[in-house]
Amino acid sequence: MTGNTRIESLGVYIPQTVVTTAELLDSCKHRPRLDLERITGIRERRVAEGEHAVDLGIKAAERALDMSRYNAADLGMVICTSISKYNRDQAVDFEPATSVSIRRAIGASNAINFDIVNACAGMFNGILVMESFLRSGAITCGMVVSGEHNWPLTNSATREIRHTFDHQLASLTLGDAGAALILDRTDDDRYGFHYLEMVTGAKHNQYCYSIPSQRGPGGILVTNAVGLQRKGAEHFPQYLKKAVERSGWSLDEVDFGIAHQASVRVVKRGVKEVSKFIGEKVPHDYLYNCDVYGNTTTTSHSVVLDEFMRNGTINRDHKILFVSGASGIVITHATYTMDDLPERYRAHHGGEE
Amino acid sequence: MLRSRIESIGVSLPRNGPWKPGSLAHATKAGSQCLGSSCYLPIDVEVLINAGVHRDRHYAEPAFASYIQKKLAINVEFQRRQTASFDLQNGGCGMLNALHVLTTMMQSGAIRTGMAIASEVNTDRTPDPDSSIIASGAAIMLDISPSSDRGFGTFVFRTYDEHIDLSRSMVDLSVEKGHLLIHRDKDLDQTCLSLLPEVWEELLDSEQVKREEIDLLIPSQISARFLAGLPDALGLPPEKIVDVFQQYGDTLTTSPVLALHHAQRQGRVEPGTRIAFLAVGSGITFGAAIYDF
Repeated sequence: MTGNTRIESLGVYIPQTVVTTAELLDSCKHRPRLDLERITGIRERRVAEGEHAVDLGIKAAERALDMSRYNAADLGMVICTSISKYNRDQAVDFEPATSVSIRRAIGASNAINFDIVNACAGMFNGILVMESFLRSGAITCGMVVSGEHNWPLTNSATREIRHTFDHQLASLTLGDAGAALILDRTDDDRYGFHYLEMVTGAKHNQYCYSIPSQRGPGGILVTNAVGLQRKGAEHFPQYLKKAVERSGWSLDEVDFGIAHQASVRVVKRGVKEVSKFIGEKVPHDYLYNCDVYGNTTTTSHSVVLDEFMRNGTINRDHKILFVSGASGIVITHATYTMDDLPERYRAHHGGEE
Repeated sequence: MLRSRIESIGVSLPRNGPWKPGSLAHATKAGSQCLGSSCYLPIDVEVLINAGVHRDRHYAEPAFASYIQKKLAINVEFQRRQTASFDLQNGGCGMLNALHVLTTMMQSGAIRTGMAIASEVNTDRTPDPDSSIIASGAAIMLDISPSSDRGFGTFVFRTYDEHIDLSRSMVDLSVEKGHLLIHRDKDLDQTCLSLLPEVWEELLDSEQVKREEIDLLIPSQISARFLAGLPDALGLPPEKIVDVFQQYGDTLTTSPVLALHHAQRQGRVEPGTRIAFLAVGSGITFGAAIYDF
């Protein structure tokens, strides 16, 4: 089958409540003595109040369907990729799969459904799997959706952080959001995903993990940020270069890079590592908005797409390089050329031009 | 249509002794056995999918598959040969979903080999009495079938989400270290039996196979009552249904593989045998597929 897999529609839901990094630090039982905002570049994040992870996913899914040419009943597959399955207060759901709830809420009555969980790489993992179903002709369109309600992890951290170098500090960078992508195929080889690769370096999976707290209620996220970034930085530039080359592109042709929004500092450090690897300055811009939304884990690339398509930065024919790093350690790269999605997105959701 | 083949299987059976292995130990044992009886080396596994639902310490991140990948030493470093590993969760249907995903990735030309693995456990120190899980592990190595009439045929999945509340499991985080709670409605068996014929007919129609041509049925072992109701619901003689509930109980995601292993050991599977997998998961979700040995 010729053609590429493309993003036919995008839906992003960002809760309204804003919590600043200063407010978050003030709420810590033992206030860490560091300037977290300066170190991470994250000023604030959005927090879901009275909503759970599944609700964020459902709202994003409804928005994606609103601007799609497909109806819910057309979807052949729904894959939910949320990490934070806080679908009720003080509990994490294991069964049924969150995709069942989303499928039910949107009325995707003909869709095969399952969840994929792969830390922050989940959404691209979902795209990678769905791409095979689309390419083989098993389905004609499907939805990859995620709702990330990370606030319970942040809440635990404010109670449990004991010192400035506590391994729960990364929990203070998280934000809440929902995102949904509707994927189908395009016959035009110029557009859509040209290359998609995911690799797991499981030897280094000890740097970040999430489990129930061992000291009290709630879940926790434990991160050795230095180790995770060092290992990621050591290995990801070679995969990035491979992704660009296998797409038949040069780095000069890339219009924008969109990396996983761990923090502004991580995004900028990543750019430096690539520059070091290729021996020259990276010729394209890396877009970020984690300064105001925080690290929304699996949904972060979609949150960037939402803002920069709305404000007219991303347009038709733009070549995008997606970079994702996740605990595991999972490194993912994808190259994508925009079709008319940005124009349709602005027309539907209202642009800021 | 290109078909996938079960190249090898491995199991870690439930244990009754004083030592209770965790989900990682069960997965590792099953995976090692699977690799040990395979013609493939660990470096050949291009995709590793963990379909297990309940795991040691209720890990949410990273993917539990990465722990299994590390234990099995499958391309653990960023090197030329590489593996993508991830968790796929869909209750008791997860294993069949994983096999479907691997098969489709093969059909699309993305991979040539992959492993689906699952393990279940409840590691709570004081488990909820209604939330016991029989710990076990299972693994299947899948590759491209060399023959067009051998291997997996069409996969059929159906979700009846109006019954979403009949089967749930969650980790209660109001207490330290979390506490696994499982709810199975008393009507679950009967509801499943009443919905199954539709899925069963769809599978037979899609494969253009008559029910008499099915030699063995490998179902999820959700309860003795469910297994006893299958002959009537599906129109199959009881001797064609592999029932290991008495031996192993309900092991959730691993049960179809444990049942297949049991049938193989009894000599009920040989070249030419046509089996049907029938998985039942929360949701309620059904998965079904025919496999020709």
